[in-house]
Parts: sequence; structure tokens; C-alpha cells
Amino acid sequence: MVDPASGPFLFDTSAESWLARAQDGSVQDWLRAYLTHHQVHVSAVTVVERVRGYALLWRRAPQDRRQLIEAARIAYLRELGRVWPLEASVAVVAGEIMALLPHPPTPPRRTHQLFESRQERLVRWRFDSLIAATALVAQMPLIHNNPEDFESIRSAIECSPERFPALGPLELIRCASLA
Amino acid sequence: MKRRVRHSITPAKRRTTLTLPADSLVQAERIARARKVNLSTVIAEALSEGLRLHAVAERSDQVLKGYQKAFAGFSEEEMMILDGIVVEPAAGR
Repeated sequence: MVDPASGPFLFDTSAESWLARAQDGSVQDWLRAYLTHHQVHVSAVTVVERVRGYALLWRRAPQDRRQLIEAARIAYLRELGRVWPLEASVAVVAGEIMALLPHPPTPPRRTHQLFESRQERLVRWRFDSLIAATALVAQMPLIHNNPEDFESIRSAIECSPERFPALGPLELIRCASLA
Repeated sequence: MKRRVRHSITPAKRRTTLTLPADSLVQAERIARARKVNLSTVIAEALSEGLRLHAVAERSDQVLKGYQKAFAGFSEEEMMILDGIVVEPAAGR
């Protein structure tokens, strides 16, 4: 159990939605308690991923469903907490991570009938590098629901501390261990 | 040169009658005596802090509801797209 008062934490894109959709009462209580102490901190990259997601769904949706998607998008943007920008120091750290780990550690995702392209997988991997870099620069633990990607980044940083002076380690917290 | 005059801003006050739990009142009176202030000051501070906490809890609930609305009504595949995992039907399959 992670003390909600011990934040603030940076929330990865997958963590934010996982927490909001959790049916487990203890997870909801954790988020409610966290929100009494801190804002939800996210990287600007999370906003990019999220808004692109709403926009793609809206474009693919029939007319009668578009209203729900737009209402969800507005609800998300209305409650947006602290957004960390992609500034010079984040760019420098992210560049180091991308050079260390040029390829995604896992293959593209697929479901029963849908597939993620290699290009999309690479984009998502680069976005994860930017989010990890933001957590390092902000010196905040990163809450995530994506252990394959972020554990790879954490290990790589630990193996090359000379490339990340005065930064790190990347502190990771899995969603499932919060409450 | 104009001299800037500072006025201290004191919130408006109103007299009222309250019925309070006796044990809370005893505790407030003890604090007032220890701090050498009047009972109204102690009660006003406690009320102000209680209202602040209430506002924080209300705001927390509002944010939580907003988040829940932002992600409600979507399938698992749609949630993947909202999480930045853009999946599409494979061409030619």
C-alpha cells in the first residue's frame, strides 16, 4: 500500500484510466485520498495520447455515439491536473533513453481482430521514454500499468548512471500495488 | 508621490446562537484559555478548518467523478486507443 499523502506522483497514461475505471473500493478510496492531498500530475505526452485517442474514436464513431465521446473528452480536460511540459531538460533525458533503448521491448499489441502497427508501437515506445524522462526531471515516482516498458527503461538507466547525472533512479509504482 | 495606504481586511462577522456538543465546547474553552484568546476565535478557527477540509473533499469527489465520466462507456479496445495504443483492423485479413 502506498501512502496517498506521500505524493505527488506522475501518472502514466495507462495508470490514469486504470485508476478511474477501477471497480475495487480500496482503489477508489486510494484515489479519493490522493486527491485530497495532491493533483494528478501527468506529462504533456499523456495529454497528446489521450486527446488523439478521443479524436480517433470520434472520427470512427457513428453520429449518435459522437456526443458521448465528446462529453468524455470534455470531462477529461475539465479535470486535468498538473501537466508537465516537454521542456529542454526532459528532451535531453528522453534523448538519452531513446539512444539507450531504440527498440520497444515487446512486440506490437494485438487483440482478437485488431493490430497495432510497428510504426505505432515505436511511437508509443518513444512516448513512454518521454514520460519516464518527465518523471526523472520532476523527481516524482511514476505510477504505471505498463511494467514491460517502464521496467526496461528503469534497468537501462541503472546500468548507465553516467548518462543521467544527478538524476534517478526511476522510481516506479505499479497500479496494482497502490491500495 | 502618492502614499499607498494599507488597510487590514477583516472578514465581516455576524452574531449567531449555536448549539454545540458539550465535550467539544469544553475542549474549545480549554484551548481558548491556554492561548489567551476568546472562545469565538477558537470556534471560528475550528469551523474555518472544518470547512476547508470539506471543500477539499468535495473537490476530490468532483475530480473523481470527472475522471469516471471521461472513461465510462468505452469498450476494452476503445480504452486501448484512449491509452495511446492505436489498434486497427489489419489490411488484407
